[in-house]
Amino acid sequence: MKTFEEKWTAWVDDQLTGRELEEFLASLPDRAAAEAEKQSAKQLGSFLRKQAVALSNADFFNHQLRERLDRERAPARREPDVVRTGWWTIRRLLWGSATSLAVFALCTFVVLREKTPPSQSQYLTEILTYRVDPTVSPNATISMFQKKEDHVTVLWVEGLQSLPAEYATK
Amino acid sequence: MRARLLLLIAILLVAVSIGGAALPEQTVWSGLIIASNSPPTEPTPAEITQIEEALRKLFGYSQFQLIGEARKTLKTGEEDWLAASKYFSLQVDSRGEKADAYVLNLKLFQEQKLLLETKAKLSKASPLIIRGPQVGDGQLVIVLVVQ
Repeated sequence: MKTFEEKWTAWVDDQLTGRELEEFLASLPDRAAAEAEKQSAKQLGSFLRKQAVALSNADFFNHQLRERLDRERAPARREPDVVRTGWWTIRRLLWGSATSLAVFALCTFVVLREKTPPSQSQYLTEILTYRVDPTVSPNATISMFQKKEDHVTVLWVEGLQSLPAEYATK
Repeated sequence: MRARLLLLIAILLVAVSIGGAALPEQTVWSGLIIASNSPPTEPTPAEITQIEEALRKLFGYSQFQLIGEARKTLKTGEEDWLAASKYFSLQVDSRGEKADAYVLNLKLFQEQKLLLETKAKLSKASPLIIRGPQVGDGQLVIVLVVQ
C-alpha cells in the first residue's frame, strides 16, 4: 500500500497509470494547483540535470580544494618536521657529547703522559731540610750542593764521630 | 648506531690504556756504601756504576762496597722502607710525588742513634748522595736513585 507521498512522487515522474492514476487524481483537493506544482518540479529537475553536466569535472574541483586545504595546513605541519629532521636531535647531541668526552679524555692522558716522562726530567734533587742531633754529634756541620755536570745532589756532613772498620760490616 | 657504539668503546679503551701507562710504577733504590781505596773484594754494584765517576770525584775513593740496600717500588708514592747493614740503617718515609720528584723523609741511624735527619725532593733523574761518618779507612756514603 503506497503512501500519498509515494504516489505524489510517482505522479510527478509520470509513473502512475491506470486505476491507480485515477484514484490519485480523485484524491487531490486542488488539481490545478497540483498540476502547477508538478510542472514546477519537472522544471527544477531539468535544471539540476543541466547543472550536473556542467559539474562533470568534479575531480578537478576536488583537486583544487585539496590543494588549498594542504596549503592552509602546511605551516602547522612543517614546524614539527623541522624539529624531527634537524641535525642536532637529542640523540645526536648525546652521541656528540659522549664522543667529545672520550676524545677529551684521550687527549688529557696523552698530554699527561708526555708531560711526565721520567727520563726527560731536568730537575735536580733538592734538599728541603736537614738536621743532626747536637747531643750525638756536637761538632757536625752540614752543607748541600748540586753537581750539575754529574746531575747529582750531595748532602755533605762533616764532623760525625769516626767509627772503627768493623762498622763496614754488611 | 652499533658502529658508533663500538667506535666510542674503542676510544675509551685506548684512553684508559694510555692513562694506565701514564702513571708507571717506579722503584727507588737506596744503598749504604763504604767508599775506600782498599783493594776490591767484590765488583762494583750495578746500581752504583752510573754514578761511580761522580762518587770518585766527590770523595777521592776508588772502591765502593755495598753493605746494605733496599729497592722499593712506589705505587702510591707514600711508602716506607728501610735499608740496613749490621750497624747502620736508613729509614725512608715517602711523602708523595710532586713535580716529577718524590718527597722523602730520611733518617740515618747508627744502631739506635739518630745521626742525621733530612727531607729531600728526590728527582727521577738526579741521584741523592749523602756523606756519612768516617768508617775505618773509608767513608759511609748513602745513595738514593729513582730507577
